[in-house]
Amino acid sequence: MKSTIKTKTLVLAVIASLVTLTMTGSAANAIGTLKQDALTGTSATVDTAATDAAIRKLVNGRTIKLGFAPPILSEAYTIAQQGAWNQMKDYETRYGVKWVWTEEAPLNNAHSGVETTGFIQNYVAKKYDAVFVCSAAPAAVMQQLYKQGSAKGVEFYQFNSTEQLNQKSQATDATAGLSSVSNISYDNRWQSGALAAQYIAKELKGKGEIIMILGPAGSDWTKLREQGFRAVIKKFPGLKIVGAADGGYVRDKGLTAAADLLTKYPKINAIYGENEDMALGASAAIDAARLKHWDGKSGIITIGADGLVSGMDEIRKGNLTATVNVGYADMGRTMIRTMFAHKVLGMDVAKFIRVPTVIVDKSNVDIFQSQIKAELATKVKY
Amino acid sequence: MANQRFNISMKKFLSDPILGVIILLLLVGGVASFTVEVFFTLQNFTNFLSGSYFVMLLAMGMTVVLISGGIDLSIGAVMALCAGIVAKLALQGMSVPLVIVCALAVGAFVGCLNGLLVTVVGLPDFIATLAMSAFATGILFIWTKGTPIVGYMDETYKQIGGLAPIYREVTVPMVIAIVVAFALGAMLKKTKFGVHLFSVGSNRLATRQSGINVTNIRILAYVISGVCAALSGIIMAGRNTTVPPDLGGGYEVLAIAAALIGGASLMGGRGRILGAILGEVVLAMTINIINLLGVPSSYQKIFIGGILLLAVLVNQLVISSRTKILMRSTNKK
Amino acid sequence: MKFKNFFFRSVSITGVPIFGLLILIVALFQFVVPIFNATVGDYITNLVPVLLLTVGAAIVIIGGSIDLSIGTVCGLSAGITMWTLASGLPTALSILLGVATGTFFGLLNGFLITKFGINDFIATLATLNISGGLLIVLSQATELYGAESEFFTSLVYGSFFGIPTSFFIAGAIILLMQFLLLKTILGRRIFAMGNSGAAANVAGINVRNVKLATFVLSGTLAGCAGVLLASRLGGVQAFLGLGYEFTAIAGAVVGGVSLAGGRGSAAAALAGGLFIGTLAQGLQLIGVEPIFFGIVSGLALIIGVIFDQKIQDIGQLRSRFDSRVLAQPPRKEGDHG
Repeated sequence: MKSTIKTKTLVLAVIASLVTLTMTGSAANAIGTLKQDALTGTSATVDTAATDAAIRKLVNGRTIKLGFAPPILSEAYTIAQQGAWNQMKDYETRYGVKWVWTEEAPLNNAHSGVETTGFIQNYVAKKYDAVFVCSAAPAAVMQQLYKQGSAKGVEFYQFNSTEQLNQKSQATDATAGLSSVSNISYDNRWQSGALAAQYIAKELKGKGEIIMILGPAGSDWTKLREQGFRAVIKKFPGLKIVGAADGGYVRDKGLTAAADLLTKYPKINAIYGENEDMALGASAAIDAARLKHWDGKSGIITIGADGLVSGMDEIRKGNLTATVNVGYADMGRTMIRTMFAHKVLGMDVAKFIRVPTVIVDKSNVDIFQSQIKAELATKVKY
Repeated sequence: MANQRFNISMKKFLSDPILGVIILLLLVGGVASFTVEVFFTLQNFTNFLSGSYFVMLLAMGMTVVLISGGIDLSIGAVMALCAGIVAKLALQGMSVPLVIVCALAVGAFVGCLNGLLVTVVGLPDFIATLAMSAFATGILFIWTKGTPIVGYMDETYKQIGGLAPIYREVTVPMVIAIVVAFALGAMLKKTKFGVHLFSVGSNRLATRQSGINVTNIRILAYVISGVCAALSGIIMAGRNTTVPPDLGGGYEVLAIAAALIGGASLMGGRGRILGAILGEVVLAMTINIINLLGVPSSYQKIFIGGILLLAVLVNQLVISSRTKILMRSTNKK
Repeated sequence: MKFKNFFFRSVSITGVPIFGLLILIVALFQFVVPIFNATVGDYITNLVPVLLLTVGAAIVIIGGSIDLSIGTVCGLSAGITMWTLASGLPTALSILLGVATGTFFGLLNGFLITKFGINDFIATLATLNISGGLLIVLSQATELYGAESEFFTSLVYGSFFGIPTSFFIAGAIILLMQFLLLKTILGRRIFAMGNSGAAANVAGINVRNVKLATFVLSGTLAGCAGVLLASRLGGVQAFLGLGYEFTAIAGAVVGGVSLAGGRGSAAAALAGGLFIGTLAQGLQLIGVEPIFFGIVSGLALIIGVIFDQKIQDIGQLRSRFDSRVLAQPPRKEGDHG
């Protein structure tokens, strides 16, 4: 029995180290002075036993109650949740923390985010220790709720959010006007939209025509990704965005929109789908129009964003050229690490933590897909 | 003599409830072909039609329920549930015909449940089918745990979804839609059940008093709509290549809109299968034109609202002018 | 004996059984999750806009029509209120403009339906898209937050005797609607029209104007809901209100308002709306996983409505005929199998 736990821990540690290794800069810095190895047990040369014992003593078997409020139930948030659970399991075995984890998500209407406000009030009433929130509700609304909740001792962490859209400067105010302890996310402009544009520019050698399949108008995520994408494309006089359509972040609408645009612009060189579902819809539209997928020299590039197992399968098959992997599992783990460092160890954590993102195509799909699959394979559940 | 026959067929044509939607199609299509160069091409038509067959099926099923005086809000969710069943069973290696039979059986079963809840239990149709929609979505959520079902696609499902044609431009969804349209059309016009269906929708009490089993007819209407939703789900599984838990959201409203544009009435007793099909064509064409024109996505909703209004306004205009023409021709006699 | 008759007569009134069931589940939740009590103020505050929409939906439904636009019109009203407030208009004017937005869409719906004879479902589906689309355009063009009016925030967050101000506002509006429906000529005409438009017409009622009035009322209520929603949130996002129409209509129907028209009341709609909202809140507190939420709430909805109908049937059978319940005629053929 004991040995199985040990093996599990070992496997977890290896996975964690892989994640940590791929994380450069920001996320690691977030933990500040605490050594990464001490938290994840990466290094073979550093003996963490004494640290672990001391933290175990500090934790003293306490129960930490965590709330998780994604804007909708979807594959992306399932991966983030699994990443969080794996990190929690790690802490449980090493430090003896007991966890309570409650997920609340609206089944539909992800884009107005008003349901989330009720969930947050309930978490506060139930005296949870910390709540992880991602909501489309206006930033001002959420900040008000965090403020009220924090006054009652609940810590709030935003994840996968769009706070860069209206965050204030940190030049004179460290909180940047936000009442959340920390914001664990990636920059939708420069770590997602811009990366996709750079990839297209590189593959097409700065020359070609592009169509965009956007998320629903009015969504903050859509707005930011489009900003970053357009900003990069602008730098290449040979690249031109000829058309754009609303794909509503879902595959079928992406397919219809791409099919319509391909009729009008059959000679385009690349399609940017703001998420993987729409990009895969566009890929099906390319097949239906009997056009050619990108083979490295000619055809149409399709690029999405998310980093889901299903998307990476399609990259292997050549149906999707590339995707922006925004590291949902990593985000989940970072959420728990940041919360633990702040709540339990009393450390100062960065207000804005950016998880690393990466373009995944055929050349590196093995690394990143196996990573996500390993996270999902643990079957740890809270 | 010939003139009289012409008059009669003219009258028949003018009094047809789908006249409005035909004129609307010509109007919208005509304007589009002049403003968007690629609009009037075979490729564009096959394109936007291929994205609308599954909604057509939903709209046809909805028309049958609407004629019977009911409403079925569960069809979007049932479509998604049946798509989920196709994906799940296909993943387990079940043969294609068996998978399809299972999905159809589930669609019929849910339809039957709807019918029983509305007739035998006596729930308002709105609530019964809304709750059923919550059930169907709930089951899909539990199955998928929020993560889409993937990895079931192969060449056959590509064909079923219409992503690969079976002959030139002919696809499986197109064939299914045409077959169902003829079957339902014939059923409504030529069978006793069809006549009874209209009669139940127009006046339930009178129909019952004339000795017709109203309950059975109403249940059957929901079963038909459930089966149509299942067919639509089978196509959707192939077309979407993945089944996310929230797949069906909102399609029931589209289907009702298509049916109503096509001449059906929420009050029951009215509706045409061809009307539902053309109604959906209008809706699909609208999105197509928006995409081709490059209307900024923030204005799309307003545009869609405008077209909907135009749709019913034209319909209304046709009805009122038709009444005038008919009146005049009657007066001449 | 007298009491027995009183009891059966009471439960035969639309909305009373569901109100009883509401009290029952409140007691149940208090027992199962003691924390429930502490959250009542919060969740009802959140529910207030939807309750107003539910009453608006009920008025239109009693009149024999349906209004799908109330959700997005409520969102747009919230947006307009926020926009005008943030750009420095006086608070009272902003509130007025928010309510007027709702009234305008009510008028628009009413005109489309009565003057042009357009099907209500399609007409309001069109205005749903138009109002939702306008909010998207508005939210793209400007930031919809940052109102600095204390009076405006106090609409929801202020309190009298420890009870949130919004309860009084919504309570007054709903009471007014209840009075209007049951005690005024317009109310009687709405019921008459809902029971049979043709008969009402023959009886000399200007059906068009009465129908227009129901849509104006529901639009105005959506406007009021929007103002309160903006006050509660302090910021408005595109898509706000989308989907509320179904919650509202479901609430009204659960309360016993018949989709066939001619039966129901504002109070019944209120009871139905509170029932659905309370159920959702209780299930959340109990910790039902989100993936099971759809199934559990669907089941509860069905049980709630069956309970409501059976109790009312018993009440109607057992109580002597009473002219005072004339406003609620027995369920029509349209509801039964």
